[in-house]
Amino acid sequence: MAIVAFDIKDLEDMGYTAKKLEDIGPKMGIEIEEISEKEVKINVTPNRPDLLDFTGFLRALDNFTGENKPKEKHYSIKTEPVLSIKVMPEVKKVRPYIAGLVAQNLDLRGNKLKYLINFTNKFADTYGRKRRKIGMGVHRLSRIKGDLVYDAASEGTMTPLESKSKMKFSDIIKKNEKGQEYGYMFSGKKPLYPFISDSEKTLVLVPIVQCEESKTTEDTKDVFVEITGTSKKAVAEAANIVACAFIDLGAEVFPVTIEYPTGGAEITPLLNYKEIKVKLADADRTIGAPMGERDIIGLANKMGYVASQYGKSVLVYIPPYRVDVLNEQDIIEDIAISFGYDRITPIPVYGTANGLASEMAEDENKIATMMVGLGYMEAINSLLTNEKVNFENMSCKYDKSMYITLADSKTTNLSMIRTDLLPGLMQNLAGSMNERMPQRLFEIGRVFNMNGEKLVESVRLAFASEHSKANFAEAKSVVESFARFNGISNFKIKEQKNSAYIEGRCASLEVNGISVGVFGELHPRTILGFGLEEPVVGGEITVVKEIKYEV
Amino acid sequence: MHDYEIKILEQIKGKKESSLEELEESTGVPRDGILWAIENLAEKNAVDVKRKPSVEIALTEEGKADTKAFPEERLVKSLASGPKRMNEIKDQVGLSWAKRNGWIIIDKGSAALTEEGKKVASGKIEYEAKAVLNGLASGKSDVADKLAREKKGIVEALAKRGVITLRERSAVSSITITKSGEKLLETASKETGVGALSKEAIVGQAWKKQGFKPYNINAPSETIYPARLHPIREFMNFIRQKWLEMGFIEVSGPIIDSAFWNFDALFSPQDHPTREMQDTFFLSNPKQLNVEDIEALENVKKMHTTGWGDIWREELAKSAVLRTHTTSVSAHYMRKLASAVNANFPLKLFSIGSVFRNESVDYKHLAELHQVDGIIVGDNLTLANLIASLKEFYGKLGMENVKFRPSYFPFTEPSLEAYYYDEEHGDSIELLGGGIIRKEITKAMGIDKTVLAWGGGIERPMLNSRIFGLDSILTPYKNNIGWLRTRGNLKV
Repeated sequence: MAIVAFDIKDLEDMGYTAKKLEDIGPKMGIEIEEISEKEVKINVTPNRPDLLDFTGFLRALDNFTGENKPKEKHYSIKTEPVLSIKVMPEVKKVRPYIAGLVAQNLDLRGNKLKYLINFTNKFADTYGRKRRKIGMGVHRLSRIKGDLVYDAASEGTMTPLESKSKMKFSDIIKKNEKGQEYGYMFSGKKPLYPFISDSEKTLVLVPIVQCEESKTTEDTKDVFVEITGTSKKAVAEAANIVACAFIDLGAEVFPVTIEYPTGGAEITPLLNYKEIKVKLADADRTIGAPMGERDIIGLANKMGYVASQYGKSVLVYIPPYRVDVLNEQDIIEDIAISFGYDRITPIPVYGTANGLASEMAEDENKIATMMVGLGYMEAINSLLTNEKVNFENMSCKYDKSMYITLADSKTTNLSMIRTDLLPGLMQNLAGSMNERMPQRLFEIGRVFNMNGEKLVESVRLAFASEHSKANFAEAKSVVESFARFNGISNFKIKEQKNSAYIEGRCASLEVNGISVGVFGELHPRTILGFGLEEPVVGGEITVVKEIKYEV
Repeated sequence: MHDYEIKILEQIKGKKESSLEELEESTGVPRDGILWAIENLAEKNAVDVKRKPSVEIALTEEGKADTKAFPEERLVKSLASGPKRMNEIKDQVGLSWAKRNGWIIIDKGSAALTEEGKKVASGKIEYEAKAVLNGLASGKSDVADKLAREKKGIVEALAKRGVITLRERSAVSSITITKSGEKLLETASKETGVGALSKEAIVGQAWKKQGFKPYNINAPSETIYPARLHPIREFMNFIRQKWLEMGFIEVSGPIIDSAFWNFDALFSPQDHPTREMQDTFFLSNPKQLNVEDIEALENVKKMHTTGWGDIWREELAKSAVLRTHTTSVSAHYMRKLASAVNANFPLKLFSIGSVFRNESVDYKHLAELHQVDGIIVGDNLTLANLIASLKEFYGKLGMENVKFRPSYFPFTEPSLEAYYYDEEHGDSIELLGGGIIRKEITKAMGIDKTVLAWGGGIERPMLNSRIFGLDSILTPYKNNIGWLRTRGNLKV
């Protein structure tokens, strides 16, 4: 998601008031994030980068409402290339793809230049994955001397935008604001810096910053746009979006020749229309609202497509700026949007099957209800925790291979997945110190452990009781009650050593000779470790040793 | 007079002062019985009671933060420059208090300051709640006692909104017998009637002749709290029940999964920003999880290379992640259904469970939340069918006015978002996302069916006052016993 802002005045001039935008935005699937007295902020979903540009947004509105009837229905460019870019072998290793285009008689007055620059930045940040996948720059055509070269080198010099003097590439990365922001992609000891130069100077350190000499202003009429990246498809799509926007602004767009080191050459942008056949039956089967060929053509037009009837189908031409349309279903969605989601009559799904609850969920509910009956309040804690809480406070030795660790966490005290439930309950008691005693809590939930290479997910029950008279017998009563409740009669209580508990006041619950739980009086070291002061007894019992999913 | 009362009077007769502990020991009457009897005696002027402060006050984390400024104060300050639209106001707590305090008026989806609100914003009036809170924060017990007595309403309101906690304490520190108390004790020995019931009293049938001594039914009794299920479990059970009623089968899937099932199988491009470390929890142990389904791997690889035109790396698909949505379970089940020969279509499934986002945890964000996902698998299923199912579900939650608008998810086409228009706030609440699973995905999973799918969070709807009225999504996970004891009920 990306948020872009446009001046409300520019939209009002085209007949789109705040009220109108709030009405049609959601209908089109465009979320209006905020409308203030000055600007409108819209939230653009990642499939529609063309809407990041004011021209593209306006075009979508015009198509949908039928207002300001779009001047140009067929986007095309001049045939003669006006510039050529020679791609050198070195740059193929680091950032292989480039596209260029030239626009003449462009009107960038008012907010148009601001919108254009905002678009290139937002586009490169989102769709271009922080400029790694795509970066672009807009240059004043008159300042470009001779044909261009796209190359890469371990060093070079240029005057970055808004600077007065020449700088080395490596210094731009270190000192220039944009260099610091996007230099992350040049790692390693001797990085290769991609750049574009004309016969006199370096035009741009790709994709960081362009040179001061070719800076565009509101009065610039002729521009050259370069788009570079690591994905050929994305670079071509970006070039198409920019070209269509310039055409909508009334400029003449000329192609640029790209010459490859191997000898081949191609022309950019392609401005190609994709052709997709939409079967009437498919549209009907997807949306569930009956429509005819005529309806579909009309609805497709409202979304900016050119469409014509073709037997029992509709042939749809996808304008070059619509980079999200992969196949028929994408167009059917647009037809549904155009038709209006609020106009679709709900149709219940046929079928009379009975619902069926998961056994595991129901078992957990039964145990939880039993614990409530014993006077224990239910707690639900996160699976995410840290070694201090999970192991150290419980005086438990640990080793990194035994449990699940997070590779990276934005929150410093989250580093692992819990292996036990009881530490969480102890934390909850510590957070309830001002509350009246006795305090009794339980949790039934998942814990994770590593058994060698194998990940083991289990269901456990833990309980804790804190008050001045809490003792071993109280914990034992709960454990025995749990066993009887679950129909286990052949259980044994065996003495157990566990450093979280007091020796001689700790036991295990054994069923068929296998320990399934530990309980007893928590050691004062454990109690103090969690910041508590009153006696605490508790325990933890395995309910399901290893969950095996049916998938 | 009750037996307990007599016992107490007998014990304190001739003594200067008696503490509760002494009485508990000497009479053998439990603490709550003693307190009850003392209140009775005090009412009859039989004893002089010395009392200790009855509440102990502590500031919560929110409370500590609020000593500088309450959310409602910040809100009115932000409105000082002019009214704001309701959907721009993100802080619901501040909004609700500013409204309650009469500082703002809401009209046509905009919030504007009242005269009173303007004075607060400019600092001409001091906010009484903040003055009280700062008094309580001073840590001086005499100040706190005074406030607890004189500003009882405000102190209670602060406790209710979770800014402070009140610990109830025994009100009585010691008692002394009075002149009239001594007289009462004298006459009591001549009084007839059965006091506390006992086996002897019942079987011996003395009550037939003597009758019963009446009790003071207005004497205070101890406040007790029930143990309860957690509100999140209650709400999840409620949601489960509604889908079960609609003929859905409950299923579950791994919480720790490979990126393959969480992302790749759902057509999420490998360079998509949500797949980066900043948003998703990747694991360092285990680093990878094997994807054993070779056919699915091949199919998904093909789907990505044709669909996105980028290189698809199996290594990345094997990364172990904490699932970011329960839609991963839907992906597993679509694949499972490819080999389910006798399945009875249309098949309706749902799953509910934990999901994770690598968020920095603060008062608004949690790294672990709960989600519910559902799918309907069958032939000729349409957007109209999906809308009908979701409308039916929300109807069961009392939200008849659920609406639908277009949205975007990489795995559905068409996609939609269900939302509820809140008349009061002039704002719409997003409920869930859904759509028809892309044909590329069903094909890669090996099923020749249409799949309707949706998913949404559990916690966010609980903020809504018509469902639960949770003040913050963090509150239930603190598991504070005081909150769990006094929380409200689900309203659905």
